[in-house]
Amino acid sequence: MSRLGQGLRPLVESLIAGLIGLGVGALIMWAWGYNPWPAYRVLFQESFGSTYGLAGALANATPLILTALAFAIGARAGLFIIGAEGMMYMGALAAVAASLPRLPAGLHPLVSLALAALAGLLWGLIPALLRAFRGVHEVISTIMFNWLAHFLAFYLVANVLVDPVRAEKTISVARTARLPLLLRGTDLSLGIGVAVGCALLAYLWLWHTVSGYEVRAAGANPEAARYAGVAPRATVLGVFAVAGALAGLAGAVEAMGRPPTYAVYSGLTNLAGFGFDGIGVAMIGRNHPLGILPAAVFYGGLQAGARLMQMWAKVPFEVVRAVQGVIVLALALPELLRILRRLGLLRRVRRHA
Amino acid sequence: MAPFLLRAERLTKVYPDGTVALHGVDLEVRPGEVLGLLGENGAGKTTLTKILSGLLPPTSGRLLTPAGPVRFHSPKDALRLGIGMVHQHFALVGTFTALENVALGLGGMSLPALRERLEALIAETGLHVPLDVPVEQLAVGERQRVEILKVLARNVNLLILDEPTSVLTPVETAELFKFLRALREKGKAVVFITHKLKEALAITDRIVVLRRGRVAGEVETARTSAAELARLMVGAEAGGRGSSVELATETPAVAREARAAAEPALVVEDLRVRADTGELAVRGLSFALYPGEILGIAGVEGNGQTELVEALCGLRPIESGRVLLLGRPVAGRSPLELYRLGLAHIPEDRWKHGLILSFTVMENAIFGLQRERAFRGPGGLLRRRAALAHAARLVRDFQIQAAGLHAPARSLSGGNQQKLIVGRELAKDPKVIVAAQPTRGLDIGAAQFIRELLLKLREEGRAILLVSADLDEVLALADRVAFMYEGAFVGVARPAELTPEAIGLLMGGVKAGAR
Repeated sequence: MSRLGQGLRPLVESLIAGLIGLGVGALIMWAWGYNPWPAYRVLFQESFGSTYGLAGALANATPLILTALAFAIGARAGLFIIGAEGMMYMGALAAVAASLPRLPAGLHPLVSLALAALAGLLWGLIPALLRAFRGVHEVISTIMFNWLAHFLAFYLVANVLVDPVRAEKTISVARTARLPLLLRGTDLSLGIGVAVGCALLAYLWLWHTVSGYEVRAAGANPEAARYAGVAPRATVLGVFAVAGALAGLAGAVEAMGRPPTYAVYSGLTNLAGFGFDGIGVAMIGRNHPLGILPAAVFYGGLQAGARLMQMWAKVPFEVVRAVQGVIVLALALPELLRILRRLGLLRRVRRHA
Repeated sequence: MAPFLLRAERLTKVYPDGTVALHGVDLEVRPGEVLGLLGENGAGKTTLTKILSGLLPPTSGRLLTPAGPVRFHSPKDALRLGIGMVHQHFALVGTFTALENVALGLGGMSLPALRERLEALIAETGLHVPLDVPVEQLAVGERQRVEILKVLARNVNLLILDEPTSVLTPVETAELFKFLRALREKGKAVVFITHKLKEALAITDRIVVLRRGRVAGEVETARTSAAELARLMVGAEAGGRGSSVELATETPAVAREARAAAEPALVVEDLRVRADTGELAVRGLSFALYPGEILGIAGVEGNGQTELVEALCGLRPIESGRVLLLGRPVAGRSPLELYRLGLAHIPEDRWKHGLILSFTVMENAIFGLQRERAFRGPGGLLRRRAALAHAARLVRDFQIQAAGLHAPARSLSGGNQQKLIVGRELAKDPKVIVAAQPTRGLDIGAAQFIRELLLKLREEGRAILLVSADLDEVLALADRVAFMYEGAFVGVARPAELTPEAIGLLMGGVKAGAR
């Protein structure tokens, strides 16, 4: 098979999975007595068919690209890091805190992004050390750290970074630190550039550098990688650091680039879920940085389209959510099975040797 | 007709991949006897016992009990008829106690009732096991007793033990034998699988020797000798036999002279290495390997060969002793450092250490070499063009059949995967090559290719340590053969000097001259 042919295969697989998902979703709507055809038409026309729709999809995709990259890089290294949620909270709050000092307009966003990346990285440090030196499984530790982040963020939003005038949110990100909007009247900010840039860098790292090669080797066959001179601990620490920084940036682009408030709400309502949705996006994108880009846009469009389906096609929100769930599940299933198998959670059918 | 418990008639087993493991084997197990099943690796011992215990269906042939022919669909069917097997690898839940482990398979019995029954069974058999300690805290010998109790608790008449002593200390072995004799007194039968001649002679009443899937002979233990068993096990044609490996083994005079003058490339002195279990797997091994020589290590697998190779290649710590590679100590160096000193390793398990199946041919071609100048550019960038050229060279020089340099290694056949590994290792231009089971599982063409390559490397003056369970291969390729048994060499000789009887005895762990 040619190289191109091999690159196309997952694409074809995803297309088929997507069609199956849409088909099952249509069946669900039909079974509950709604006409799937106008519902889907609204979804695709409004989410992807207009400039404003597409801008909305891209804006929704921005943090998802970054959290998905955080998960995917871990997965490539054989780590099941589901801590992007907590790392993202820390990143968002660090970006808000970076607005406390006054800084010049050109520098301020860069400093804020850097602080957010650092906050995400540090939030992953303890699970990373536990994994590297004590063998504590990262699934357990990162789930626990998600909860720690959750309540710590609650506290910081309500007590430390709280807006003196409006107690339901933090102070807003300073004007000098905001990411400029790319299209007036939409939520699409320069954050999408940050996210796409990170995806390209991640791709270059994994496939065009020696250390990326070693990370993938450690993920695919740790025993062989050790034999080839890859240091397992350094790999774990490095991958956690990169994942943490990316997830931190996800929180930052949301806080710094989402009009109108440029803040974090109490209850984390404008942040909650990006970390976990990123896992779904990563799986739809086959844990490949370049696959994640279309996957995130699709996912983001699906989210924006849900409201519209409800409004225009009169499909109740619950049914829309179920349809979305089916589509995402169908798309993510092939990669999910691969990961579960690698974790040994599914028994592989072994051929007699 | 003698009374029997179980009889196998003309059993044949062909695996889906075409391997014929058994050709028309007949076997009878009688009550009140310990029947030894003896043979080399691949003789068919394990396949035969798996059929007897209901784990595998035979391709043809049948099993008979005194009540008539039977057909087992699972080990449960065999257990119902009183046939139970204890495998070499235990099937115990580590965090459960012995009592809970036994209860697992029984189902429906209350724990207090089972405890009573087990205590009686322990008193009767002498198989002392603490019932309330998690089995992961028990010694290996105790875990084996739990496995045996598991089977005995089901009122078994015929107990099959697969290489039971391979994990036991001598004291534990003696205790096991005592228990087996007691079992025999009660009229039960035991099938005892082993490759150790001494043990077969010590505990059995009758011995069936398997060779290449056929019964090579059946003898009364009292009327046989280690020498006869060795002959049966290895076959009359061993030694200068018309074997499946046909290659020129004459060492050119040039190479011999070179060796006489040269310093040894690899020196091993009183090496001790521990296995994963903590037991000593290599016990005081010493040898020297010279440039232009193939030193073969023969022996039944599991006698420390794997641990030896891993220790030599930096994958396993050295407990004590010295290993010098081209004059430098190996201990404490990583595989990468050893390769830079001039060592290449063709690993025993190609999927575990040799390559990464999901990586492309190109990526595998530079595996372990990725940090070399040639492939690592400025800023840590991977020099893909150089890697592609290197992979293309390997594919050409080693005749690797691949769909392309970007095809995943998974898509290559076993032989081509092995050629890729061998090619990559040889591209390191090594002085010393450690080849572990280099032709295992390969088709004849690929195996021949690799064997000829090893001979060519010898001509070039490289030092080769060949570890192989394929006796024919070792005898055909090696200039000297060392026989490894329980972590030590029981003999070292030139292949031409060995008689079939001597080979059989050495394989079975009987030291030359110690008969």
